[in-house]
Amino acid sequence: MNIAELAFESIKQAVDDAGVDKKDIKNVILGSAGTWYEESLPAVIVNEYAGLDSVGTMRVEAACASGSAAVKSAYNSIVSGEGDVAMAVGVEKMSEVDTPTSVELIGRAGSYMWEFENYGMTFPAYYALYAVAHMNKYGTTEEDMSRVSVKAHHYGAMNPNAQFQKEITLEKAMNSQVVSWPLKLYDACPLTDGSAAVILASEETAKELTDTPVWVKGIGYSSDSANLSRRADYVGLEAAAQAAKRAYSAAKVTPQDIDVATAHDCFTIAELMAYEDLGFCKKGEGPRMIREGQTELGGKIPVNLDGGLKAKGHPIGATGVSMAVEITKQLRGEAGRHQAPIKKGLGLVHNVGGTGHYAYVTILSRD
Amino acid sequence: MDEPPVLHSRRSLTLRFDIPVSKTHEFWDALRDGRFVTTKCSKCGNVSFPPQADCPKCMNNGFVLVDVGREATLLTFTQVKVTPASFAASEPYIIAIGEFPGSLKVLAWLEGMDPKNAKLGMKLRVEARTSKEGNPYYVFVPV
Repeated sequence: MNIAELAFESIKQAVDDAGVDKKDIKNVILGSAGTWYEESLPAVIVNEYAGLDSVGTMRVEAACASGSAAVKSAYNSIVSGEGDVAMAVGVEKMSEVDTPTSVELIGRAGSYMWEFENYGMTFPAYYALYAVAHMNKYGTTEEDMSRVSVKAHHYGAMNPNAQFQKEITLEKAMNSQVVSWPLKLYDACPLTDGSAAVILASEETAKELTDTPVWVKGIGYSSDSANLSRRADYVGLEAAAQAAKRAYSAAKVTPQDIDVATAHDCFTIAELMAYEDLGFCKKGEGPRMIREGQTELGGKIPVNLDGGLKAKGHPIGATGVSMAVEITKQLRGEAGRHQAPIKKGLGLVHNVGGTGHYAYVTILSRD
Repeated sequence: MDEPPVLHSRRSLTLRFDIPVSKTHEFWDALRDGRFVTTKCSKCGNVSFPPQADCPKCMNNGFVLVDVGREATLLTFTQVKVTPASFAASEPYIIAIGEFPGSLKVLAWLEGMDPKNAKLGMKLRVEARTSKEGNPYYVFVPV
């Protein structure tokens, strides 16, 4: 299917689920990084196909966090009083070009002149630089990283929408092909076609539409340098840590209050750093969290029960919206086989763009 | 599983950019002469790498060139095995971040060594190179 058809699948589900008349949607914000599919102006292509006429619309880009940027933009349109209903759509179609071209397009997404032109950076390479520094400072091992992958596939096997629905062994992950040392094939998320959509509404309208609304409690965001050489260190993503602090502060909650979270595991090392950046553990203790099963169902804070980017897939611009969909399902108790116990009614979306260039943390609440 | 039907597009697109370097051509000129320098704000003294004509700290336009220093410490590295399309002809390469005295950091290839022997904290030297197209660039080599 093409980009508009792919987006339509999610748009239809979101409109049906919310019970909203699509004529009442005032703003449609599309998260999509683009360039690997044939359309240059995807927002209007998607809207035209879905019959979303005369809406306020734009495509937003925050790399792999474009989806969360779309949610934030749609949210802003509601709180600013532009309309009572808005939609955030995320879509990416990455299979229309060959894999080396995809590797090229993603690799160029740093500071092109200083990182790609002469040095051919790839996204695995960026995160490998972080992995090596983290291993050196905190004793993180390749096995710790592989465990993240095993967990992702374990939960992916429970998610009928996941790209990979098969369990893998630690041995298989450890023995997979080296992509950018020390990261291996099973440390890396796949190239994915996918879409997701959420409807946002004002408090009054939300209460009219549904008995089970999920509320946006707080959005935190930040950014960091494009050029890796301008970062302070390579053992955590400063933008993500700042975004998390701002989100907790906006929502007036602490990391200990969160029942369930999605973390941006584009690479396994990214999930380990996310545990730390989100305050689920102290700096350097991410590997211990995975070793002890603290981020599994039944652990202290279950993370990526939908399979994460690794197993669910990572359609760049759709990922942040898809995370919001997953946490919404979790908070409503509709996550099926991978449902987390919901005690305080709080879920968290951690969505990183680039290698920590952009970061968005969104806290959602049942009550 | 059968491949889903696709229409293989009749049109292809090749992009090659002419990247402007006019505002910091002094950096590239020095590199051609084998010197690795960067920009220092002529007003507040802030040193930037990559070099830039406009100071990100005080927003002054104007700089002097300063030597970065020749020896850096290896902060982190990786060896790229799966390369992008335009690097398809390259052997696996090592990418390193080195830190110079004064905490200026630079990302570049690390040449002339087996990655198995790379140790964080080791000393690196920066060297100027010229691409086969005639463009100047720089690499790290072990001291």
